[in-house]
Amino acid sequence: MGWHHVGTIAKKEIRSLGTEKTIVFAILLQIFIAMFSSFLLVGLAAMYDPDALAEYSTTRDPIAYTGTASPLLNQLKEEGDFRVYEMDFSTAIAALEERKISAVVWVPDTAPDAEQPIKITLYTIQNDIRSSVVNTKLKDVFLAYEADLREVRGDRLTAPPVDLGLPNEAPRTNFFEFVYGLLIPLLIFMPAIISAALIIDFITEEFQHNTIETLISTPASFSDMVWGKVLACFVIVPVQSGAWLILLMANGIAIQGTMPILLHVSAGALGMILLSAFCALHYRERTNAQFIFSTALVVVIMAALALPGNPANLIVRLSVGAAGPAHWLVLGGMAVLLIMAIAVLDRYARKVGRDYTGGR
Amino acid sequence: MRGAAARDILSIGRWEVRRTATSMSREVVPVAILLFVLLIFATGYVQQTGMHLQDGMFTAGTDSPEVASLLSSDPRFVAFLSSDETLLQAADPDLLFTRGALSVAETDKGSAAANAIQTDYVSYLTAVYNREGDLFAAYPLWIDLQYVESELDFTATQSGQQIGSLRRMGASLIPDRPVVELPTPSPELGASKEELRAALVASEGDESAVARYTDTLSSGPDLGDYATPSQITPSLPFDAIVLIFVFIFPLYFTSQFFMMSIMNERIDRRGEILLSTPARPWVVIAGKMLPYLVLMVAVTAILTIHTGATFAVIVALVPVIFFFLAGALLIGMTSRSFKELSFISIFFSTIATSYLFFPSIFAHIHVISLISPLTLVIYDLEGGGFTLGDYFYSTFLFWATSAIIFAICIVNFREERLFSLHPLRMKMREYVAALIPASHPFAALFGLTICTIPFVLMAQMMGLVVLFNLPLPLSLVLLVVIAAFIEEWAKSVGIFAVYSRRPSFLTWKNLILCCLAVMAGFFIGEKLLLFATLAQISESLFGAALFSSLHVLWLPLTLHFTGAFVVTAILKVAGPRSYPVALLGGTAVHSIYNLFILTGGI
Repeated sequence: MGWHHVGTIAKKEIRSLGTEKTIVFAILLQIFIAMFSSFLLVGLAAMYDPDALAEYSTTRDPIAYTGTASPLLNQLKEEGDFRVYEMDFSTAIAALEERKISAVVWVPDTAPDAEQPIKITLYTIQNDIRSSVVNTKLKDVFLAYEADLREVRGDRLTAPPVDLGLPNEAPRTNFFEFVYGLLIPLLIFMPAIISAALIIDFITEEFQHNTIETLISTPASFSDMVWGKVLACFVIVPVQSGAWLILLMANGIAIQGTMPILLHVSAGALGMILLSAFCALHYRERTNAQFIFSTALVVVIMAALALPGNPANLIVRLSVGAAGPAHWLVLGGMAVLLIMAIAVLDRYARKVGRDYTGGR
Repeated sequence: MRGAAARDILSIGRWEVRRTATSMSREVVPVAILLFVLLIFATGYVQQTGMHLQDGMFTAGTDSPEVASLLSSDPRFVAFLSSDETLLQAADPDLLFTRGALSVAETDKGSAAANAIQTDYVSYLTAVYNREGDLFAAYPLWIDLQYVESELDFTATQSGQQIGSLRRMGASLIPDRPVVELPTPSPELGASKEELRAALVASEGDESAVARYTDTLSSGPDLGDYATPSQITPSLPFDAIVLIFVFIFPLYFTSQFFMMSIMNERIDRRGEILLSTPARPWVVIAGKMLPYLVLMVAVTAILTIHTGATFAVIVALVPVIFFFLAGALLIGMTSRSFKELSFISIFFSTIATSYLFFPSIFAHIHVISLISPLTLVIYDLEGGGFTLGDYFYSTFLFWATSAIIFAICIVNFREERLFSLHPLRMKMREYVAALIPASHPFAALFGLTICTIPFVLMAQMMGLVVLFNLPLPLSLVLLVVIAAFIEEWAKSVGIFAVYSRRPSFLTWKNLILCCLAVMAGFFIGEKLLLFATLAQISESLFGAALFSSLHVLWLPLTLHFTGAFVVTAILKVAGPRSYPVALLGGTAVHSIYNLFILTGGI
């Protein structure tokens, strides 16, 4: 194998990515996905956890309390998120329709220790994001009131749950888990998937445009050509993933274990690239190769995620600093597998090259 | 004549199928079948074992066996059980439960871990309470959620009133209109104890792996509008959202094949055979597309039967299928190489999927979700169904944009376009310029501008979907600026295409005429769309930002003319390279005007 030729071909392919502006599309695409994820996160947070947006939602929503007086009235007043007005029911609904208030609460005169439950009716404005926020704030008050009522009716419970000393309140949106447990592995692995799709285009393009002969007439051998293309696709992965890590850190998301993360991503990417290069050499036609490779990739990703300690999980654990030294074992195992795969692909590339040149 | 075209379409379709079958050599099919079997196995396995993505993120130490058993049920935790407190502290866990009290590490990770265990504890409590004999002692409080419609009048924005819940301090709470006496709600629950229990138990299993990522405890019972306090926040329709991907994925895949088939015609100039047939371009395109269209509809039908949806789902997805095919055709006709094809198609499908997918997440929360046909699918899967008005509203843009893309491709389905290797931007300019004949430039610009309206609206909707959940003043300002930019771009793209081909065309007189043409086109297009369906969006606050200018005639006309004039004048003075700068100039003028109108001319 001529390393010099491999390097030359890798350089040529990377240059072509630059001149065709395709890499610009790849980067735009990744930024778009990242942007959308973060916007979605903000949206979901607004929906499910107004406290997460506390700095924005400083307004105290006016709400109307109608019906029978109850401990709930004081709890609402003490909450601090609302301005509570006691109103007549019909007037309150009319005011709500004109958006003068954000919600109307109707409380019936059911006794706290009654056999029947207390049915509170809550009126909000349809299709309004603000209503979701108000609902979420009201939820905390209702939960506290529910706990008090449970206390009152407690002697009727036959099998009370074990008390673990945890507060009975609704959990908050877990940004941390979303960012570290989903967004980071997704963003870090995206360049790997893009590179794997790219190698198919690199290889099948030579076959379908009949430029193989031109390539083989140069001093570079067929397998030099294949490895040059693999190298070109491989080197851009850690660069892009590293850029993601830097971007995330610039956004105040602290990530530990960056070096091991890049090693794991590179290993995973090389595995995918070798698999897709094999498909490309085997089918020598883009449609078939892409079809078989994408299906195979979905199977591989599914199977990997079903295994404990898979690379994606290790990246999550590394990024929060919860991975022990065991991940080096997995990396070692990956390295052995990759070396075997490289040997297999090299033999296969030589065979295809021989068939192609000798068979005419 | 029509019969002949239909015959041609069918024979080209048959030829396409035969060719694909032979090129899909005998090697592909067995491998594909094997992979699909493996895929079914892998999916089943993942469903059983769950995804191991967030395993071992957190650590916790405890001296209580009950807490340890709760922790061990959650793979996110690595738990240590020991009665030796110093040993536990030495491990420096995120959570420490000792002697019945909890201490949390003072880090983001610590509070996230506390949050995670809180979720587990709430699920445990729920499971115990749901099986309590006296259900109304376990759940003494029920909330009946009712919604009222509020109408928003446009004049409010123009007279400078702020809309929304931000009521000024000290303003009156007394309604402006006469109060209608309403009956007060009944204190009785409309469901029996056992019905309520069944619904509560059924909603326990909803905490899927997907739901865990956002930690939203989802899905209240399906009892109409009754909920316990912990269920009153809106729930994400997770199951339906996952199913939606199952519907979209095959469409994306099949359109890839169509894209490649068009691209292959252009390699080695094989398409010349097709171009030299007496069949017209639209017949050739329709014939090549037919097999893929049939396949997509068939796959959708099979999935519909499998998921237990009704056939209304197919009707909802047909415009989406056409949209994917139209995009595939355009990308297949314009890409210079496989690499370019890959990236542009990934880019296109990502944006299309986002446009389809993200609004549907808010299916039960906000009317904005209806801009995606997938929301109709969610409605259908959840057994609600949708009205004809909903259908028209959410699919209209897909029908319109697909038709226009097909038209552009048919006009450009000629040798010099298909086999040229011009860079993408130049090619797009050529495609647009091909639509503007030199004999009737102004009429063509007028028509072209009308045709850009659906795209403009789609792009603006995309912006709206991204922005509508940001805090209020910021989201409105951003929306106005983005909407202005998109409109200016759409108005000037035709003029720019003509100008870059024939710089001499843009005399000052012609420039004014061009601006008048796009002004008229844009105005009429907007009016047509409003007739179409937009009442629903314009009822919400953001509608005011997008369409507020449509109520007074001379204002939008002046605005459209001024924006286009600013852009084209900068272009004429500074040359074609200044196009981006010109666009920003037009956007600035346009945004300032819109914000001025929206804030009621402060």
